[in-house]
Amino acid sequence: MASLNSALSVAVHSLDAATGALQVTNNNIANANTPGYTRQVVILQEAAPTVQDGLSTGNGVVLEGYQSVRDELVQTQIQQETQAQSGANAQLASLQQIQPTFTTSSEDIGTQMSALFSSISTLSTDPTNSASQQAVLSAGQNLATAFNTASNALTSQQDGLNTQVTQDVSQINQLTKQIAALNQPLADLKAEGQDGGTVEDQQNQLVLQLSALTSVAVTQSNNGVTLTTGSGTPLVMGSQSYALQTTASSTGTQQVLDQSGNNITTSLTGGDLGGSIQTRDTTISGLLNQLDTLANQFGTAMNAVQTSGFDLNGNAGKNFFTIPTTVAGSAASIKMAITDPSMIASSSDGSAGSNGNLANFSAVETSKLPSGQTPGNAYADLVYQVGSLTSNANAESTATAASLLQLNDQLSSVSGVSIDEESANLITYQQAYEAAARVVTTIQALFTVTMSMGTASAE
Amino acid sequence: MRVTNMVPDMQYDMQQSQQALAVAEQQVATGLRVNQPSDDPAAAANMVTSLAESARVDRYTSNASSMLSQMQMADSAISGVETTLNSAITTGTSGANGTNNAADRQGLATQVQGFLSSIISQANTSYQGTYVFGGAASTTPPFVAASTTYTSAHGSTASPLTTTTPLTAGSVTTISDATTGETMTFKAAAGDTIATLQAAVASAVSAGTLSSGATATINAGGQLAIATNSAADGIVVNSDDSVLGPMTAASGTEVANAYAYVGNSTVNTVQVGDSMSVSTNIPGNQLFTSGPNVIGALNGLISALQNGTTEQIGAATTAVSAASTYVSQLRVPLDNTMSQLNSQESYLSQETVTLTTHQTALVGANLADAATSLSQAEIDNQATLASAAKVMPETLLNYLQQG
Repeated sequence: MASLNSALSVAVHSLDAATGALQVTNNNIANANTPGYTRQVVILQEAAPTVQDGLSTGNGVVLEGYQSVRDELVQTQIQQETQAQSGANAQLASLQQIQPTFTTSSEDIGTQMSALFSSISTLSTDPTNSASQQAVLSAGQNLATAFNTASNALTSQQDGLNTQVTQDVSQINQLTKQIAALNQPLADLKAEGQDGGTVEDQQNQLVLQLSALTSVAVTQSNNGVTLTTGSGTPLVMGSQSYALQTTASSTGTQQVLDQSGNNITTSLTGGDLGGSIQTRDTTISGLLNQLDTLANQFGTAMNAVQTSGFDLNGNAGKNFFTIPTTVAGSAASIKMAITDPSMIASSSDGSAGSNGNLANFSAVETSKLPSGQTPGNAYADLVYQVGSLTSNANAESTATAASLLQLNDQLSSVSGVSIDEESANLITYQQAYEAAARVVTTIQALFTVTMSMGTASAE
Repeated sequence: MRVTNMVPDMQYDMQQSQQALAVAEQQVATGLRVNQPSDDPAAAANMVTSLAESARVDRYTSNASSMLSQMQMADSAISGVETTLNSAITTGTSGANGTNNAADRQGLATQVQGFLSSIISQANTSYQGTYVFGGAASTTPPFVAASTTYTSAHGSTASPLTTTTPLTAGSVTTISDATTGETMTFKAAAGDTIATLQAAVASAVSAGTLSSGATATINAGGQLAIATNSAADGIVVNSDDSVLGPMTAASGTEVANAYAYVGNSTVNTVQVGDSMSVSTNIPGNQLFTSGPNVIGALNGLISALQNGTTEQIGAATTAVSAASTYVSQLRVPLDNTMSQLNSQESYLSQETVTLTTHQTALVGANLADAATSLSQAEIDNQATLASAAKVMPETLLNYLQQG
């Protein structure tokens, strides 16, 4: 049979449940803007009823615990999208800095190349004019400088990316260490059948930060999270983290090594690290090779013309440009080989005023280089490459940003804190608490009545 | 779907709207749709080749215009020569008239001498410092009064030059002969001596480049002397050899009415189109000393007037008339080239317009479109901001407090 004591016990449980629910609401409101916070809900359950004399009496509510509302699938998608976005952003940042060098201006290679041919054309109308000869030398020097500047813009980006690789690896190591450290507490909580809660939030947030750096494969287990790089190099297993290392290659580029010293640079994809490596080793390397090829073949073609003619003093022409024997580094080191205006080989027959060889110089502009393109088209192709790569990186960055926003909306629709909702909950639980308290007061009054039964005052 | 926090979406929308506004603003401000290669990679690449094409057209235009001026100068000089030759023909014809006495003819001869020096000054016409009839050697007057003897600046009785004196390797010595109208060029090789030069002069004489009897000898003063053996054969000698020093005409050896061509016969061409080049000059030797030789014909007329018979004067006048015809014929291709240049100039200016239009289409912004996009972007941006401002403060708490 129900007693006042058992009724009081039900009311106390009600107070506990309401307090617990208020606590959760309070915590949700407090963390509404905390990155990575997953909203919690209170788990209330009916207490087992008491059955006596065939009567089943409800025993009130039991506060079972708290549960974080997670969506592991969306969480994983966010990690993957973050990798893609950071990778695209790393490319975009570099390419945007490279792009101005290849934008038509008074100093770009295309303009300077035209200026050189214009100065040669002017010289052809008066081949012994020393001002015109000097103009050809200056234009040649300006073109060489434009090549040097463009090459420098590319290599300095590569240098910057080397630093980025080192920094990324050190951040990755720090993050994997922190993630590994959280695995044990998480495993302990789960062993006790509890929700991972705050610890899991923290760990997810760290994995997300790691995703921004490189692509990682995440496996959840009872022992916590296991992380490997996209290509399978272990990063975190249980409470153990495996640090990556960097080392400079013979050419000075930073290579990434795994714990055992194997070079895993080429297998790293995604994230800032993957994006930086790809930009450094593929994108910029490709552009640099195109630029070097152009500088080398153009220089060689000009030299061939210059050495087939005669200078103002009737001597056989010497090289116009100094270029290295190998293609690599040609754009960086191309420079004028002649400094004396009279050494321009204008003459085709050795007589001082002949301009026969200048037509051969002019022909370089419209003739195909060994690459199969005219110098102007080869440069236009390079401009196209830079523009297209930048535009693609930009498009990818924009697309991933939109998709990431969508995913975050999806996640926050599951795990996010709604202030309005929490405000409503607050009122609900406040009223529940008040009602339970009222029950306690009532029972107390009943106790008083009961205690005073049979005394004088009782009537 | 459960919506918990609208701020990230609003921030994203504001960002997008700001970006659109920035792009629209840049297009209006620069008037360009493509400001960097990534705006439209294909258009940016096409622009590079199109600009190179424009630069080419610009330089063809400038070449055509400067060639045209130079050719007009040459054309008017040749026209002046024709007029002068006609006067000489008139003078010759009147000289052939048997009624003239010796003194009259002498007077006519002096007149023709005047014509000759006028023609020489026209042959030495320069355009902006360039002698138009000098071939490729356009920095010095192409026709120089000739002398019989030239001597070197270096060498003296105390320290005479000898046949074994080595010459400076690479130095060039030229001997231009007024009679043959040709030039001997001697470029000293390593180990060459004055004897080598002497041998070269001898072989030039046997080849007919120099008048017979021309020699290079060491004179009594220890200098190198290059001389003809006839008072009528004039030469002009130039040398940049530092051992010999400058060659100068010995005083009093000047040959009357003899002019040597010290230019060369190189014809330069200048590009005025992708596949069009024009000759920039007619070398003076082609014009004045070869074929029916202008200078030779006038010289012949002068000596016929001075010492010849009526028949000789008549023949000399005919020779001058042939020279005049020859010069007129040479003028025809020059006039053709000038008319080609004129039409090329108008073609090039057409081409410039076409290229500019093409470039505007490639990277230019349509201003009407750009302005519309800008105002659209402004409205969008305002709407985004206004809606954000309206939505952000809305929470249940506001209403609960009021309650």
